[in-house]
Amino acid sequence: MPVAASAIYFLNLRGDVLINRTYRDDVGGNMVDAFRTHIMQTKELGNCPVRQIGGCSFVYMRISNVYIVIVVSSNANVACAFKFVVEAVALFKSYFGGAFDEDAIRNNFVLIYELLDEIMDFGYPQNLSPEILKLYITQEGVRSPFSSKPKDKPVPNATLQVTGAVGWRREGLSYKKNEVFLDIVESVNLLMSSKGNVLRCDVTGKVLMKCFLSGMPDLKLGLNDKIGLEKESEMKSRPAKSGKTIELDDVTFHQCVNLTRFNSEKTVSFVPPDGEFELMKYRITEGVNLPFRVLPTINELGRTRMEVNVKVKSVFGAKMFALGVVVKIPVPKQTAKTNFQVTTGRAKYNPSIDCLVWKIRKFPGQTESTLSAEIELISTMGEKKSWTRPPIQMEFQVNLLLLLTLLNRSRLLKVIVSLTISASCYFQVPMFTASGLRVRFLKVWEKSGYNTVEWVRYITKAGSYEIRC
Amino acid sequence: MPPPAASSRYPSPSQPSGKSEVTDLKSQLRQLAGSRAPGVDDSKRDLFKKVISYMTIGIDVSSVFGEMVMCSATSDIVLKKMCYLYVGNYAKGNPDLSLLTINFLQRDCKDEDPMIRGLALRSLCSLRVPNLVEYLLGPLGSGLKDNNSYVRTIAVTGVLKLYHISASTCIDAEFPATLKSLMLHDSDAQVVANCLAALQEIWSLEASHSEEACREKESLLSKPLIYYFLNRIKEFNEWAQCLILELAVKYVPSDSNDIFDIMNLLEDRLQHANGAVVLATVKVFLQLTLSMTDVHQQVCAIVSVYERIKSPLLTLVSSGSPEQSYAILSHLHLLVVRAPFIFASDYKHFYCQYNEPSYVKKLKLEMLTAIANESNTYEIVTELCEYAANVDIEIARESIRAVGKIALQQYDVNAIVDRLLQFLEMEKDYVTAETLVLVKDLLRKHPQWSHDCISVVGGISSKNIQEPKAKAALIWMLGEYAQDMSDAPYILENLIENWEEEHSAEVRLHLLTAAMKCFFKRAPETQKALGIALAAGIADFHQDVHDRALFYYRVLQYDVHVAESVVSPPQQAVSAFADTQSSEIKDRIFDEFNSLSVIYQKPSYMFTDKEHRGPFEFSEELGSTSITPEVSSDIVPAQQFEANDKDLLLSTDEKDDNKGLSSNNCSAYTAPYESSNISSQMQELAISGPAASATTTQSSFDFDDLLGLGLSAAPAPTPSPPLLKLNPRASLDPRAFQQKWRQLPISLTQEYSVNPQGIAALTVPQSLIKHMQSHSIHCIASGGQSPNFKFFFFAQKEAEPSDYLTECIINSSSAKAQIKVKADDQSTSQAFATVFETALSKFGMP
Repeated sequence: MPVAASAIYFLNLRGDVLINRTYRDDVGGNMVDAFRTHIMQTKELGNCPVRQIGGCSFVYMRISNVYIVIVVSSNANVACAFKFVVEAVALFKSYFGGAFDEDAIRNNFVLIYELLDEIMDFGYPQNLSPEILKLYITQEGVRSPFSSKPKDKPVPNATLQVTGAVGWRREGLSYKKNEVFLDIVESVNLLMSSKGNVLRCDVTGKVLMKCFLSGMPDLKLGLNDKIGLEKESEMKSRPAKSGKTIELDDVTFHQCVNLTRFNSEKTVSFVPPDGEFELMKYRITEGVNLPFRVLPTINELGRTRMEVNVKVKSVFGAKMFALGVVVKIPVPKQTAKTNFQVTTGRAKYNPSIDCLVWKIRKFPGQTESTLSAEIELISTMGEKKSWTRPPIQMEFQVNLLLLLTLLNRSRLLKVIVSLTISASCYFQVPMFTASGLRVRFLKVWEKSGYNTVEWVRYITKAGSYEIRC
Repeated sequence: MPPPAASSRYPSPSQPSGKSEVTDLKSQLRQLAGSRAPGVDDSKRDLFKKVISYMTIGIDVSSVFGEMVMCSATSDIVLKKMCYLYVGNYAKGNPDLSLLTINFLQRDCKDEDPMIRGLALRSLCSLRVPNLVEYLLGPLGSGLKDNNSYVRTIAVTGVLKLYHISASTCIDAEFPATLKSLMLHDSDAQVVANCLAALQEIWSLEASHSEEACREKESLLSKPLIYYFLNRIKEFNEWAQCLILELAVKYVPSDSNDIFDIMNLLEDRLQHANGAVVLATVKVFLQLTLSMTDVHQQVCAIVSVYERIKSPLLTLVSSGSPEQSYAILSHLHLLVVRAPFIFASDYKHFYCQYNEPSYVKKLKLEMLTAIANESNTYEIVTELCEYAANVDIEIARESIRAVGKIALQQYDVNAIVDRLLQFLEMEKDYVTAETLVLVKDLLRKHPQWSHDCISVVGGISSKNIQEPKAKAALIWMLGEYAQDMSDAPYILENLIENWEEEHSAEVRLHLLTAAMKCFFKRAPETQKALGIALAAGIADFHQDVHDRALFYYRVLQYDVHVAESVVSPPQQAVSAFADTQSSEIKDRIFDEFNSLSVIYQKPSYMFTDKEHRGPFEFSEELGSTSITPEVSSDIVPAQQFEANDKDLLLSTDEKDDNKGLSSNNCSAYTAPYESSNISSQMQELAISGPAASATTTQSSFDFDDLLGLGLSAAPAPTPSPPLLKLNPRASLDPRAFQQKWRQLPISLTQEYSVNPQGIAALTVPQSLIKHMQSHSIHCIASGGQSPNFKFFFFAQKEAEPSDYLTECIINSSSAKAQIKVKADDQSTSQAFATVFETALSKFGMP
């Protein structure tokens, strides 16, 4: 059995119960106490997310300032339990419309009970899809949708299963303006040694979509990934176009994607759910372009003085910007005084995290910026231990927004607005994303043949961007 | 961690002052109950919310049960839901009042709105009151036939709930059969999935006492049914897919075509966004390859399956929350232990990130250790060395240990050894401590590195090392390589002089041995230190230290060469360190892939079965299992030891044992001593002078005098003599023990609490066995793992051959010991229990 959870608890950081839903009788009522005394009040917290106390296993996760605890008494499937929690939180968020934290739970606890009732029955996960649940659990919740519309009772499961297994989309949707927003969000993970060698570098990417389309549209997405392009050229029996192709290490898709077609034709075709969803996830390790280079030099001058010099170079297209760049430069605990100059942005010493935090709001491509600091240390007695230098960490985001429009059914890429990027940028420096992945086409087919507006945005973010020094 | 927000900001669920609030609620509810005024639903909702929030934070609001039921007549669906939730929570405690709810729930079950029907049915089945079961049958029956799938889904789970309340009612009503036909014919995927879940649970529970259920359970795994599910798998939602995949794991394919069909069918599941589905698919693939009969084909298939599942698994590790990564990494570790090659080239995925929680880092370190091979060792060790400077000391230690493990398992260890030795230069006490232990293990396996290591180790000042394990390792090396370290005897001497300040028995034991070893190699420099060590050791209050010192002393007295061959035999490299887990257990865990077993690294029966929780192998049916002669010979080491080594060692005098438990073993002994055997150096020993005078015959003598060192303290505490005299040399062969255990009735069951020192000492279960043996209670078998230990002891009356058999279960977390005594002579079993208790209570006491 995948989960057969006996109970679910939501606790705040103090261990107060926010939500308490028992599904099965096989666990006692004092499980919360057990969790509090054996996990929350000990060092165990944060040591391991799965713990056994008595005959029960506690599978728990911290999400913002809330602990969600699943109690199981059998040999449960842990991966499934964690995934369930993650999905449930996503569902709650889509209901609350934003943050999931203690306040939100307290303000919506009736709704959460309602949802918990639906998403899990007797410990078995049921339907967690927000699209369907929103049909019959509304935030107002005053009326049942069935009583309000006695004529056509769209009992979600039944109708959907009968009408061709599109469980994620309602029929009869209609929009005045048919729009698709597609975000390619890439997180660059980097681990660089103090000598400047790249120890590890990969990109985890997501394709997020927001669809406002009428009817039952069929979408087809073309990317410049290697397998897809090869397959295409093979099928059209003409050589593949030269240009950069991307090798995806691994891809996973939303359930709406027709995987059989992906495996045979290597195209991503799907009937999208309405609204926002994550179409695919991928991972790339080869040929990653690092958006930033960081060159640190740290000199310890005797026991009470240190010199820090950090140079950050942006290596993406000259006409693009990175936004919200934050560089965290670690300093020893016993830092007494800091003096620094920066060429751009602002820096300050944050003693609570023992870091110099250097913020640059807007960082243009192909430029560089330097921070040089002098640090005075309190000399401590018998401090023989040398300072263990944590890595420099970096946050940033590079955005690029494009409008993909279909004019006269001929595919023409037109760049309208995008953070002062001209079309030439696209043709000359095709560095939209760290991996180089880009959207070649996005086709929308619908019976009625309406025109659609397609927006594509490329976002490259820092995942865990660490430079050892 | 920031302090949590004050709850006073939330008006509704704020802490109520006490009972008065509940009474308040009660009267307010009563007022609203009959009212039909407009807007009454809103005020009801507020009240209901209050009730539910009190219920959530654990305040007993069961007293308003009646009022809640009265207020439940409403068309507002949210109100209904809150009411159902309330009723479900308190019905069990108020079976009589629950009867009130039956009425309105049954009525709601016939509501025209399928939503209400479903909700009412779910609540009805969640009441969990056995005597209301009869009211369930009707609504459940019609629910299963409902034309709305939402209601059917709920009804199916309802059947399972009914089964848990009253299995016989459920079976008698032939619900399982209905579920089976629903499972095969219903058009709604969720209904089918719930049927499958319910049937699996019902039939596996029934299977133990009904052959029919057994057959039905088997039939779930029949080929047509499996294919029926697998072909439709895309219609199910992700959770139901997990359920089906879990079922497919148990399916035994008929031939290899069957296997490949299923694999092809499921291949695209590996691309599913839900990690649980991916992991379940991986499990199916792994089990399928295991079931292949053709070996060659199997090897090919395993390799290609591993290739195929690799990248989805790696994606799961790096995406998602750390908790999810943790679950996946545990599985990867299991895979990698079986097939280290699969991730050998992907080692970079397991580099730790600075901000990751330590539980993820730890698993990643284990992964790096497991996948290290000739091609990637250099990079991995370089990376691990980085972590040694980590701020998190626990991780720093783990990474040093990881380097050590790699050094031990790799053929070419030279570069690693150098880097290990560099750790010693970091001058951080925990790094040094961890490294010393590793260098010691390394030298035991690869003595050829001694030259390199010793030169560095020799430079370490023993004063900087505080941790017992590290100190013991250093001392071991000092003894073992005394000839290569010029000042080894002096360091040892220093340490011995501080004997009193050394709190760890392990260190003292090593000191004794090292002093001996050093003495054999560099006698003139060490003899004084050895004398002091032996004297201090004999006076030591720790049983093991005392015994070892005494043993060394006697063996030296007997013959120095013999002593050398015993204490310091020619070095032999250890070829492999004992694995902590048997391969059988590992296979069991592998069979339970994708479950808690993998996380806990033990098979499920160890933590789910109530009987097995803790000790294993030794259930009540002793006879059927595993007391083998080997077991007993392991466990009664002292006896064996004596038997085998009689010709080498001094035998302890019978009389000394007969003196009972109280007197210290050392007070008398026989010494077949020949002075001619003693080398001249021995004569010069500080202790030898007085000893020689005592050697001619056996006689008691005082060690204080013997050693002339002015030790005044009594060597060991003297327990008060017990009422019952036990034969310290009792013997019973395991077979006879089993037979007796089966024949005799339990004459006594008692529970004692064990003192904390005892629990602490129980980390080495052998120590309890030794301890009890010193009280003439012998262990015949033992087992279990922390926190539960199980021992079987036996004892014999001194005068007559009357046996006492005892089963002792010690739970170290609750510090309780439960004993069951069986005795030939039942009248004395209470006396024996007292002896046992006294003995047990002294366990761990200095």
